[in-house]
Amino acid sequence: MNSARRLLQTQYFRCLAAAPNYRASVQHVVFAHPPRRTSLSQLQWPRSFHGSPGCSQNRPVTTAVGQGGEKKEKSLVTYDELFEQVARDAKSKATFNRVVDIFSKRDVRRRGHVEFIYAALKKMPEFGVERDIAVYNKLLDVFPKEVLVARNFIQRMFNHYPRQQECGVQVLEQMENYGIMPNVETKVLLVQIFGDKSHPVRKYQRLMYWFPKFKHANPFPVPRDLPQDPVDLARLSLGRIANDLDSTTTVYQMPSTDLSETGEEISLPHIVGTQSPDQRSLLAKHNPSRPVFVEGPLPLWLRGTCVYYYVLRADPPPPEEKVEEPCDPELFGPGQSIFYPLVVDLALDRDLGDDYSFDVDDVEEGVVYAMCMTGQGDQATLGRWISGLQETNPILGQIPTLFRLESGPRELQGASETPRGPDIEAEPRTMEHEPFPEEEHQHSQGMKQ
Amino acid sequence: MSLTRVLRFSKALRFERRLAAPHVGRSEKVTSRIQLQRRFRTDCRSLAYAKDLFLGKVNKAEVFPYPEIGNEELEEINQLVAPVEKFFAEDVDSKLIDHEATIPSETLKGLKELGLFGIQIPEEYGGLGLSNTMYARLGEIFCLDGSIAVTLAAHQAIGLKGILMLGTEEQKTKYLPRLATGEHIAAFCLTEPGSGSDAASIQTRATLTEDGKHYLLNGSKFWISNGGLAEIMTVFARTEVVDKDGQKKDKITAFIVERAFGGVTSGKPEDKLGIRGSNTCEVTFEDTKVPVENVIGEVGGGFKVAMNILNSGRFSMGSASAGIIKTLIGLAAEYAGTRKQFNRRLSEFGMIQDKFALMAQNAFVMESMAYLTAGMMDRPGLPDCSVEAAMVKVFSSEGLWICVSEALQVLGGLGYTKNFPYERYLRDSRILLIFEGTNEILRMYIALTGMQYAGRILTGKIKEMKKGNVGVVFELLGKKLRDSVVKTVDLGLTGNNGVVHPSLTESAKKFEENVVFFGSTVENLLYRYGKTIVDEQLVLKRVADVLINLYAMTAVLSRASRSISIGLRNHDHEVLLANNFCSEAYFKNNYLMTQLQKNSPENNDANIKKIAMDILEKRAYICSHPLDRTF
Repeated sequence: MNSARRLLQTQYFRCLAAAPNYRASVQHVVFAHPPRRTSLSQLQWPRSFHGSPGCSQNRPVTTAVGQGGEKKEKSLVTYDELFEQVARDAKSKATFNRVVDIFSKRDVRRRGHVEFIYAALKKMPEFGVERDIAVYNKLLDVFPKEVLVARNFIQRMFNHYPRQQECGVQVLEQMENYGIMPNVETKVLLVQIFGDKSHPVRKYQRLMYWFPKFKHANPFPVPRDLPQDPVDLARLSLGRIANDLDSTTTVYQMPSTDLSETGEEISLPHIVGTQSPDQRSLLAKHNPSRPVFVEGPLPLWLRGTCVYYYVLRADPPPPEEKVEEPCDPELFGPGQSIFYPLVVDLALDRDLGDDYSFDVDDVEEGVVYAMCMTGQGDQATLGRWISGLQETNPILGQIPTLFRLESGPRELQGASETPRGPDIEAEPRTMEHEPFPEEEHQHSQGMKQ
Repeated sequence: MSLTRVLRFSKALRFERRLAAPHVGRSEKVTSRIQLQRRFRTDCRSLAYAKDLFLGKVNKAEVFPYPEIGNEELEEINQLVAPVEKFFAEDVDSKLIDHEATIPSETLKGLKELGLFGIQIPEEYGGLGLSNTMYARLGEIFCLDGSIAVTLAAHQAIGLKGILMLGTEEQKTKYLPRLATGEHIAAFCLTEPGSGSDAASIQTRATLTEDGKHYLLNGSKFWISNGGLAEIMTVFARTEVVDKDGQKKDKITAFIVERAFGGVTSGKPEDKLGIRGSNTCEVTFEDTKVPVENVIGEVGGGFKVAMNILNSGRFSMGSASAGIIKTLIGLAAEYAGTRKQFNRRLSEFGMIQDKFALMAQNAFVMESMAYLTAGMMDRPGLPDCSVEAAMVKVFSSEGLWICVSEALQVLGGLGYTKNFPYERYLRDSRILLIFEGTNEILRMYIALTGMQYAGRILTGKIKEMKKGNVGVVFELLGKKLRDSVVKTVDLGLTGNNGVVHPSLTESAKKFEENVVFFGSTVENLLYRYGKTIVDEQLVLKRVADVLINLYAMTAVLSRASRSISIGLRNHDHEVLLANNFCSEAYFKNNYLMTQLQKNSPENNDANIKKIAMDILEKRAYICSHPLDRTF
């Protein structure tokens, strides 16, 4: 809090020093272009504040009063070029900051700062700084301090400096879209620039109300940066699917490339599998005369990345094979205890008034015995997985294993993907493994005894 | 359906407590006649006290008057007790036993000379041939050292009980004499690495040899008390049995195994929190050749053998716990009487007095329950007192844990040091909540046994009610009317022909009221849950708790009535304790039973389950740290 206070003070003094100039310049601009003015306030533009929601995409300054269309167009291009010039060789946080510094120092009046900020917002993902709170704060710092603050209740009541406020809101909105939480410095800046109870400060308050509430709303958060190593990524993904604390993830094969004797390059894909003790014991009880199936690839989305996995499963057992073992108190059948009866022998059922169970239409599905992820979803690779499983599940040696593989991507998708914008992230990518009709007959069906 | 609905609503009301009233009235006459004839009755009793409480009935004949022993027996036991007390006071160094984690051989020799290894073995086999009551009396003394108590209990309460209760004459003559003298020590081998209370997963296997004369025993047993010392072991193992349909099935069989049969190895003794002097270790059998004559009971009948042995061994824990508390009261009272704080003795402080009252009351209740149960078990025939014995075990183990802790608290920091025996007793007493069936499991046993019993009798009636039988409904409505007019409950404990002394009338009334309420609660529960009650563990826990309280109330009422009637020393103190306990238990019971009513706001079970599920799903405490921030 101390640092914040100090910050506030320093900013305040700096602004005080600079304020007269700014005010003068702004007012000059205003009076130089007398448009349709309302009688309430000279500083009040007639334009509605909520008029343009898509400002960041569209050119936000289309309605800028007093400037011709060409000029506006030119100005934004200028700022775009500024970014391009400075960052000719490398686009990084440092260069981005330099552009902002250059703009701030170029003109003490900071003419065109709104346009500059819009341009900067657009450029942020390019420079990879779209998730950096410090950069946002620096951007807000471009706004002149004090001059935009409403000074009486009438100004406060109406939209004071709407373009500037809207631009401030736009900065916050981009932060919101990227999930960046504003910090105290942001607040201090906003209050200095727009005054408390201004639209950007309101926006800030709303952000600060909702963001913390939703921060931990997802009980299964996906890490922001997914591991680059496919084996680690597979571990993470399998851990998410098989949400069983007992399950063990095994790396059956590490990825490697070898040179064979003939000089060909043989690359061995990674095979990572998971199986829980429950699955193991269920598999041990599997009737060996019925086959188990290796199926896949099935998609799993981790943020913007799609990975594929394969399952080892069985069909649900036919009703005649299900045997309920009768409970004999004399016998040590399953679930009998020497100490107390596990079954009460009564002809009474639960009363309807105490039966809170739902009437769910159960669809029986086969048991999934194990899952795996691999860099190459062909039968040979998955066969290696099955033989690896056999070490802990000897019964697999007796069960026929059928491979029902859809022709899908042979490679892991998106492990090395470039960071994506929020709007793109939301919509799932079209999957590349969509089975083509002509390929369907190629489903490999192999038998492994 | 609508009638059923009406019924259910009406059941929620208090009138229901009187549901069983006419039955009780009838049984009352019967029981009073039984009571007159009681002295001449020698046949096996068909009635069970605790189970009948589930029906809202009190079998007065079972528990009133409080069981006594004859004068000769009393003299005999007093003669026995004196040297044992002297031995424990002078020759047993509990601190050393605890520290060295072993009982010195001289101490063991002394115990053997006193005959403490064969207390219940009949005299013709060289034992003392004492009854359960007298065993309980001796237990009060030898419990003063936890390690010795466990060694002795593992030897004779479970280790050799199988031979004693179900063994053939040959087995008895072969093994009992040497066990009685302590030349051989016995052990009871049931638990396995993979199976604690769940005996179903026993993996030790006994296979018949080709000549059909021996079994080959293979497997290992865990946490065997006396495992390293025992020469003779009762071992439970899977055997293949051909059942009626000619199918081969695995069943459990009990065997007598001598270490001399070979192939028996015992592991390193476990390092334990308490009862450190007792020997607990793993025992492994490798192709141990056991002759077929050494099967206890029938082949495949091991389940019953194990149940019988375990059920019969528990009652003595009550007297043992009472023995410890009585000793600790003496020690702590000495301290409280001399130690001065703020210029006042500790004993003048209300909070310290509270602790002593608690200890005295607990000891009194435990004693009453233990000797009542022992007396019931000593009656002719083979009375089934397993529920009662389990209740004694649960009540006394939990009471002891609290009392020892309170006694330690009286001394404050001193009690926490090893200079005083409190910390040792605290550590030793912790095991009582765990072994011979954990208290959780025994609660299930208590509640489910009673529920099963009540369910068999009440099924017909409940089914009629569910069908909406007009007759039953009117009967119920009639009862409701009667209840609203007559508020008091009378099961015949007090008044003319009453069995409780008039100075305990109020307590007896409270008890009666609780019993009737309990009867209707049980009926209500059966109505609501039917056979799915097995899965309602939180409900069963409360049922068990209520029943334990009811049994404890019975025991103190019966004992105090007897004391006051025959004018025992300090009987007024007993009456005070009895009244106080009954009053406490009455309110506890009412609360528990209110929780058991449908839609009771006192009942938090749904929340409790949810909390537990949240945590167990993650297997960790999941709340954020209070210092955590989100921005």
